[in-house]
This record gives sequence, structure tokens and C-alpha cells, in this order.
Amino acid sequence: MPSRRETDFVHPRFAVVGHPNKGKSSIVSALALDDTVQISDTPGTTRKKRSFPLSVDGKVLYELFDTPGFQRARRVLSWLEKHDVSADKKHEVVRAFINEHKEDARFNDEVELLEPIMDGAGIIYVVDGSKPYGEEYEAEMEILRWTGQPSMALINHINESDYSEEWKRALGHYFKMVRTFNPMQTNIKQHMGILESMAQLKEEWIAPVKASMKLFEKYQEQMIERSAFLLARLLYDSVSTVEKLSFGTKDATKEGKEEIERKYKDTLRALEVATQKKIEHIWSHDHLKKEPDILPLEGMDLFSQETASVFGLTRKELIITGATSGAVTGAGIDLLFAGHTLLLGGVIGALAGGTGAYFGFNELSEVKVLGQTVGKRYLEMGPMENRNFPYILLGRAVYHVIKVAKISHATREIFDIRMDQTFKDKWLDDTVKKSLEKYHKKFRSGNTLGSGELREYEGLIRSILKHLIDG
Amino acid sequence: MNIKSYVDLYELLQVNPSTREENRAFGLTHVVVQNRPVEQLLAWIDSHKNTLKKPLLSETFSSYLYGVTLTLILIAFVLGLLSGAGLLSYSGHEPVNVIYFIAMVILFPLFTMFLTLLSMFRAGSSQSALVHISPAFWMEKILGFLPCKIQENIKAPKVNPLLANWVIIKRSQIIALFFSFGLLIALLGVVVTKDIAFAWSTTLHISPEAFQDFLYTVAFPWRDFAPSAVPTMELIERSQYFRLGEKLSEVMIADASKLGEWWRFLAFSTIFYAIALRFLMLLLSTLGLSRAVKQSFLTLNGTMRLLREINEPIISTHAKKREVAFSPNGKRYEQIVNTLDASYDSVQGWAIARGELLVLGDSIRMISPSYYGVGGGNSFEEDSEVIFKSHGEVLLFVKAWEPPTMDFVDYLNELTAKVDKVIVMPVGTVENNYETSNKEIDVWADKLSLLDDAKVWLKRSSAQTPSRETLNAEP
Repeated sequence: MPSRRETDFVHPRFAVVGHPNKGKSSIVSALALDDTVQISDTPGTTRKKRSFPLSVDGKVLYELFDTPGFQRARRVLSWLEKHDVSADKKHEVVRAFINEHKEDARFNDEVELLEPIMDGAGIIYVVDGSKPYGEEYEAEMEILRWTGQPSMALINHINESDYSEEWKRALGHYFKMVRTFNPMQTNIKQHMGILESMAQLKEEWIAPVKASMKLFEKYQEQMIERSAFLLARLLYDSVSTVEKLSFGTKDATKEGKEEIERKYKDTLRALEVATQKKIEHIWSHDHLKKEPDILPLEGMDLFSQETASVFGLTRKELIITGATSGAVTGAGIDLLFAGHTLLLGGVIGALAGGTGAYFGFNELSEVKVLGQTVGKRYLEMGPMENRNFPYILLGRAVYHVIKVAKISHATREIFDIRMDQTFKDKWLDDTVKKSLEKYHKKFRSGNTLGSGELREYEGLIRSILKHLIDG
Repeated sequence: MNIKSYVDLYELLQVNPSTREENRAFGLTHVVVQNRPVEQLLAWIDSHKNTLKKPLLSETFSSYLYGVTLTLILIAFVLGLLSGAGLLSYSGHEPVNVIYFIAMVILFPLFTMFLTLLSMFRAGSSQSALVHISPAFWMEKILGFLPCKIQENIKAPKVNPLLANWVIIKRSQIIALFFSFGLLIALLGVVVTKDIAFAWSTTLHISPEAFQDFLYTVAFPWRDFAPSAVPTMELIERSQYFRLGEKLSEVMIADASKLGEWWRFLAFSTIFYAIALRFLMLLLSTLGLSRAVKQSFLTLNGTMRLLREINEPIISTHAKKREVAFSPNGKRYEQIVNTLDASYDSVQGWAIARGELLVLGDSIRMISPSYYGVGGGNSFEEDSEVIFKSHGEVLLFVKAWEPPTMDFVDYLNELTAKVDKVIVMPVGTVENNYETSNKEIDVWADKLSLLDDAKVWLKRSSAQTPSRETLNAEP
């Protein structure tokens, strides 16, 4: 076992300790962004200490420990108090307690929670601020004082009632720092706030924990970037997707056309669902509980009128966007001819863009009958001609990312995406529409994208996500 | 970097031979190529190529490409040779009109090179008509109908249209180049093996002066260093030919040997327009193809993910070990009390002060001769004293919101050893009028079920319903 002096020079460690069922695991889950931590209303869910290192390329910057709750605090304290020692020797008595009771099943939980502390971990003592303070906690706090390790208290609010003030008064006697933290409603700012407090526990920990804070911000950036990459790919793949269905009859039947439309829609739906899964993985939410067999986004189908009205553009908006985009292209031609076209290029571009948007408002894509002359006849549907579809799909995808990014890793309830009717206004202004339309047009054309083009689109989505997540 | 690397990368991305950790380790050990994505990808291909099944798809693919190209080159060369021989066929009855050959070695190459330039600009389009009219595209399509097992394999990679277009463009240049070689060799062959009388003939009213001006302009690349390869005014005048009457002029027949001098001009025209310029187009298309490969590398599905895995530090916040799954005992606690008696031998409160117990007892209109606070801030000696004094039936209040600890269980075990019956009654907070939730009671029920003690009972229903009723079961 390393000596305390040795452990002082390794990365900072923090043991999250407290009474059973006070949200220790929730706090660890939220701070470690890990949704695999078992959290339940049943006390004693955590029986073994568990380490959650924050590492970058394998190098650990700090380590969090989830621990079982105190079970026989009074008995432990009584054992410690039997040893009449001066303050500088008290930690040795705690170590002696661990050594003597390592194999004693009665003190399994106490040994598990005290071990990391005696190995140099700072103490994060968790209490539930929504329940009244009780003197039974004092034995626990006294034991922690015996360890001599730097400590802070976190008041967790499990329910709505608030007993924070009485808790603060009591905890102030034992801890130099008392902070409030709700793991269910945490965001990056609160997360950083807690890390900042943890850094203050010991001077040597300030630099590594601050480095960890920067890393967390970088991690968040990474997750946003990876999400933007997936969303850009989803949009490109969905809009450019082409579905084929061969048929043996002389002419294409109505059923055939319906079948290819169904297949086409299913392909696009599958792309959306697959992307949602990947997004949840990126944000470490692989274990989100969802209602089984329910369509993504509150059962709103990708092709429903409802989803179009929530996420898509109105016909008027679409015409304006199409016309603006067309005018920009036309203006390029005018510029090429040094204005000798009397700005006709811009006018024609605007008209073409606006008319295309008007007529392409409802239809997804034309069902084409191909191969008539060659003999292998088949129906083809795609790429997507509906100009509204990319906005609908992107809107849904952005909405899903924002919801996943903001949900706490401590949540074990069913992931509920309540629709926000005003969501579109939060991210889709005229400038964004114009910028997006440029790329949507390219996706629809079926031409190969330049290596930079998809990345430019990705950059656009990244800035949208960043604005929504940080804002 | 070539198509082989592209196909290797395609195949490797399909089989995904390395984990994210391995890719990051690769990035950390190849710092020389850091921030140079294409070089990074090439190095990554090199270090993972050995994981692919042999023969490599890239080898099959490139040998197929090589085979098709070679076949097309041979066909083009033979066609060039035959076309040249056909254009220069000379029976001795009438001279060979140089206009045909000029058209074939100057105008046709310039026109096709113009189309090639256009197709280069449109190479990014998957439906580029200019590419699709290329002989390389169609000849390969025709070859594609041949039954061959290899074709199954090489059809597997979905080649980027940009790359496919550039492959066709480059191949078209090679084919055209060899066609031109065929023309040149035919010209030289015919010149060496036959005597040919060249003439020029056209319906258009073109004077020899105008024609000479045109030819002088055409010959601008070589006229300074090879003046003999530019037809003189005299030669042009003498070699103008009209078929009317099907008789050659006496002058022409007398100058038959001089009429053959055209071959130098034709040879230089072929070398410059059909071969040199085509060679430049070939270089341009090679450059274009190389850029297309580079671009296709970066747009290949999976490349960006791979580059990200190579370059992004792996930040991990998760636990290394999996947690042992917790399973609640699932037993339902049977020893339930629904209503309380009006009095008990002793009322105790776990971590509840005596004063609070009195208020609590009063609120539920229940009396007892003795009230004791146990646990909480008590010492073990104080608890032992309470147990010593306890007898008969004990009502033990507990804080419903605090989960039962083993400290409580220890106390309960000692207490039941001394008394006849203990009724554990969870109560809520004062602010909540001592009301409890079912969830809280369940937590206590679960713990008590582990004790399996016949003397321990749990009060389940509301604390606000005092009545003197019998318990639902006797211990």
C-alpha cells in the first residue's frame, strides 16, 4: 500500500461518501458522465467502491470513487474513540480500524468507503437537502474528521422540500466548504463549479483539476463536433438516398409505386433512428430508457404533417429561402458578365428558386420508371426533391441532440422528449436558412461533394448545436 | 497515393480492423504525419494492410484496370494504324487529300481535348454526359458484359463518381494518345514504303494564299526550327487538286516527287497536335486523378471518423470495472399492522428525540408509560439501558425518509431478544404531517424482510388514523 506521502504526488482522488440512499451514485454518475452507475431508491445498491477515472489517452487526471453508505457509523466511531490519541495520530487509528476489520463482514461498507480516503482521496460528503438534518449524521462526519483528509459537503436536492439552511449550519461545523448540487439538473457550468470547489480542497490539486476542467470543456466540444458530423452525414445520406424496386410487369402498378414509396420512407426513418442511437452513444447515454416500440420524438413520424409544422418551414418561408438562394446563384452569373445581363440572372434565379420551392412543398420525390429500353425495368425514388424535408429532418435531429446533451447521466427515468413548439425559432433564422439551403441544393443534385463541402455544412451544424447547448 | 490505396482504404474501412484505442495509439506513435490527413491515412493503410484477406481487392481491382486499359490501348493503336493507313491509301490514280489527315490529326484532337477540358470541370457530377460519351467509358461497359468472376469482386467497392470520372478521363487520354501513335506510325510507314502524292482539295473557295496562311499559323510550334515542315506557297499552289474530268494536270504529274513533301508537315502536325498536346492532357488528367484520389480519400465513408479517432485524444470518464448488478430480494413483508393500539408498554424513536416522541404520540392519540429516544446521538450504553428497561410490546418510530442502516438492525435484534413484540412505524416529516409514501415504507419492509423475525411488525397505513383495534395477527 502506498504511503500517504507517495499518494500525494499521484493524481487527485475524491471519494463520494455519505449516508445510504442520499444520492452518492447519482452525483458520481453526473460528474463522471456515466449512465451505467446503478441508482435506485433501495438503500445498499452500492456494495463495493468503484473508481471513475477521468483520463486522457490513458493518463489519469483525477479519480472519483463511488462508495457504499455508512451502515454502522456509531460503532466505528465508538471503536475509534476508544483510542485516546492526539489529533495528528487520529488518521492512524482509522487505518488501524481498516486493517483490523478488512475481513469483518459487519464493517464491509465502512472499510470500502474509508479505504480510498486513507489512500489519499479528498472527501465529498453527500447529504439530501430535501430531508431534515438528524444527529445520526454526526457520527459519520466525526469519522470523516478522524481521517484528516480534506473534505467538502455537497447538498443534494432529491425532492422539492428544502432543508438546506439547517444542513448548512450543521455541515459548517465539520466541513470547510459546503456546496449545493442537483445531479438531475446539472449542466456544464454547474459541473465546472463543483470541480472548481474540489480543486480548492488541496493546493496540489488545483492545477490537475483545472486541467481536467479544461479537458471537460474540450470533451464537450468533441461531443458537439461528433454530433455535428453525424447530423451532416444523416442529412447528406437521407437527401441523396435513392431507392430502387424492379418489377416484372409491363407497366408499373399503383401497388409498386406505393411499395417503393414505403421502402423509401422506411430507409429514411431507419437512417434517422440509427443516427439517434449513435448520438446517444456519443453523449454516453447508451442506457436511456425509452418507451418500447415508440417512434422517435414522441411518436411523431418523420413524414407526418405534425412534424412538418413543428420542424419544417412554412410554404412562405420556403419560397423566400428558395428565391434568395436562387437569386444568389443568378447574381453570380450577373457578376460573371460584369452586369451586362441587366441583373436578369438574379431575377431569373430568384423566380426559379421560388417556383421550385412552391411546387416542391408537398411531394417527396418523383417515382421514376427506368430501364424501359434495356429490358430490366425498375422504379426509382430519390434523391429527395422536397425542399422542406431537410429542414424537418435537421430540426428533429438537432432537437434530439439538444435533449440528449442536456439530460443528466443520473437520470434513470424514461427519456421523454416533450415537443417544444417554439424550438424552430430558437435556431432557424433567415441567415441560417440561407446558408443551409446552399448545401441542401447540392445534396439534392446527387453530385459528388467536394471534400470541404460536407465539412463546411458540418461546421454550420456545429455552430447551431454549440449555440443551443451552451446558450 | 493512387487508386490502389483508395481501394485498400475502402476495404479496410469495411472490415474496421482496429479499435478506437488502437487508432489513437497509432496517432500518438505517428507524430511525423500529424495534421496531414492524407499522409496519416496512407501510413494507417500501410500498417493495417496485412489484416486484409489475400488477394487484396486493390490488386484485383488494379490488375483489372490494367488489363482493361491495355486492351483498350491495343484496340486504339490498331484503330489508329488502320485509320492512318485508310486515310493515306494511295492507288496511284489520284493524290491523297491532306485535308482528311489534317482534320484527323489537328481538328479532331483539338475538339476532343476541348471536350475533355469541359468534362474535367464537370468531373464532380455523377451524371456527366461528357464523361459518358468517352470511348473509354463505353468500351469498358462492353467489356463488362464478358462473363468473369473477377467482375463480381471489383463491383463491390462503390467508387466515388468523381474518382470514376477522372479514371475514365485519364484512360481516354491514354487511348487517344495511342490512337495518335497509330496514326503517326501509319503515316511514317506509308511514307517509307510507298511514294505518295499529296494534294489538297476543297469545295470551299479558299485561295492558296489563304490556305498557306492557315497552315503557317498551324505550324507555329515548329516553323522556326523546322521550316521544311511548313508547306511553301509553291507546294500549295502546285498541289491544289480538282477532280473534275478525273485527269491530273501535267504539272502535277511532273512534280509528283515534290508533292510528297507534305508528309513532313503532316508528321509534325501529328506529333504536336495529336501526340504532344494529348500528352499534356494526359499529364493534366493524371494530376486531376491524383487530386480526385486525395479528395475521394477524405470523402470516403468512414474516413473522417477514422481521422478523428487517430487525432482526437481519448477522454474517458467511465468506470473500468463493471458494477455487480444489484437485485432486490423481492420478498413481500408479511407481518403488517394496519392500525395501532391506543397504548404500548414502551414507545421508542430511532434517532428521534424524546420530546418529539411525546408530540408524535399525542398526535396519534396514543399513550405509553415510557418514551425513549434511541440510536442517533445516543451512546451504545444508553441504548443498552433502554433495551434493559423494555418489555412487552414496543412501538418503535423511525424516520421514514432515512433508510434503515445496519446500526438500526443491530439495535432491533437486541431489542427483540428482550421484548415480545416490536412494531416498527415509519413516520414522515413534521412539515408533511408525519405522512409517508409507499416507496418509503417499501424500503423499510424490504429491510425487515431480511431479518425474518416473528416479533417484528411493520405499521403500513397512515399515522393519522389512530384507533383501538386489534392487530391483524398475533405474534
